[in-house]
Amino acid sequence: MNTEDEPPQAVIELSAVSVGHPRSPETALLESVDWRVMPGEFWVVTGMQGSGKTALLETAAGLHPFQTGTLKLFGHTVTGTEGDEFKHQRRRLGVVFEGSGRLFHPLTVAENVALPLRYYRDGTLEDVSEEVIPLLELMGLQGMANVPSGRLSRAWAQRVALARALVLKPEVLFLDNPLAGMDVQHVRWWRQFIHQLSLGHPQFHAKPMTLVAACDDPRPWLELGHQFVLAHERHWRLLGTRADVLANREALVREITDAIF
Amino acid sequence: MSRGESSPTGRSRLVWFRSINISLARYVIQGLETIQRIGAFTLIALGTTITKWNVARHVVRPLIREQIARAGVRLLPIVGFLGLALGFVIVGQTVALLSRVGATNLTGTLMVSAVVRELGPLVAALIVLARVGTATVIELGTARAMGEVEALEALGIDPIHYLVVPRLIGMTLSIFMLTVYIIIVTLVSGFGFSFLQSVSLISSDYFQQIAAALRWTDFVFLGLKSVAYGTLTSLIICYHGLAQPIRLEEVSEATTRTVAQCVIACVAIDALFILVYLLV
Repeated sequence: MNTEDEPPQAVIELSAVSVGHPRSPETALLESVDWRVMPGEFWVVTGMQGSGKTALLETAAGLHPFQTGTLKLFGHTVTGTEGDEFKHQRRRLGVVFEGSGRLFHPLTVAENVALPLRYYRDGTLEDVSEEVIPLLELMGLQGMANVPSGRLSRAWAQRVALARALVLKPEVLFLDNPLAGMDVQHVRWWRQFIHQLSLGHPQFHAKPMTLVAACDDPRPWLELGHQFVLAHERHWRLLGTRADVLANREALVREITDAIF
Repeated sequence: MSRGESSPTGRSRLVWFRSINISLARYVIQGLETIQRIGAFTLIALGTTITKWNVARHVVRPLIREQIARAGVRLLPIVGFLGLALGFVIVGQTVALLSRVGATNLTGTLMVSAVVRELGPLVAALIVLARVGTATVIELGTARAMGEVEALEALGIDPIHYLVVPRLIGMTLSIFMLTVYIIIVTLVSGFGFSFLQSVSLISSDYFQQIAAALRWTDFVFLGLKSVAYGTLTSLIICYHGLAQPIRLEEVSEATTRTVAQCVIACVAIDALFILVYLLV
């Protein structure tokens, strides 16, 4: 059998999933989500605040239980009762959380970034420094390595969270509203870096990384994203490519994409 | 229907009794549910401690050392002070009384019963609870409220292994070691105070009385009791900080709830050991 004829396997597959509220999973924020994310794709999930974007990302990453439907990560069905085997699959996913990136505050920047490597390799900070230092340099964080993470501004904390998510060289990266509240310099840096990841960064397998970004404001992502999705009033709707989004005359889509403050 | 029930006063009494019964039943059910949840959390935490004993040792063992320093070494001054005070109080209250009735030969026995069997482990557990336990609930509750637990899960790191196991082992060992220290300091300071009181008690007699009063079971039960205190209090602390979704504004309430439940748990363990002492 020729393997080239086989259709590529979806890295994330949600079928009729009901996405619950993180604090009360029985309250559905989004219903009947059918979503297939293929390797190398860059999806942008947009919608108003409270529409369930964060819950969708965390559910797709296997971090939240869901009421109905099925979730498959790399072809493995996630039931919520997985053991260490699922944890191995989870290492193939990176998550950058909204806000200050949910860094571990007792730790410094370098310790935060090194923690996943140290945990899996059972090593000291020195043991993993050969991989951590180049990553910190790539992120422009080398001067902050010994700074306690609690002292960082939100924008720099987000960058540390990105470094921590990338240190295990994941195949899929979830970004939850990463540009919220950032100045133009940081936004520019993020857009360039994410674009490099989307094309295939030499430090991360040199092949296009699968990316899923949630955002309140999709405009900075319009030129980067491959597929766009709208979460609104408990519904999940595919908007299509950038051209489809720009051509969409629906009032809500126009309000989100053409917003003038 | 009796006359008492049909009168307004009788009816209001009935309503009062019913409401009291309902409230009591609710408290009992809530208490049983809490015990069940803490029991399940205990099994998970102990299971993780055993199955992941050799996992990520270079990450987890420094955390255990940090917890021992925090809940044990740094509490030595306060434990020393309380040991001194405890020795003064017990001997001050009892030796003078015993000497009046010519029973100073019971001083050692009294110290063993009061300090070794009862107060030593209890005071050590309560000091750790007050100085470190409350801070730990706030620390873990804040971490949970800020989503750091999900961040650990997202990295494939078991939060129980990373956050609970070091605290469980660290606090348990600390309470055990502080118990030993507080007993030694109390016994020595007790003798010092009796000496200051001019009680006719020479040091060799005092320590011989203590040695004679001590049984091998005291050492076994002392170890078991302090380990039980440490295990249960650290698990209750971690349960309230971590095991359930919590908002920042709920952290203070979780802390007070933790203190109350830890004190109840310590008293329950103490009662259990008193029964065992009586049976052995």
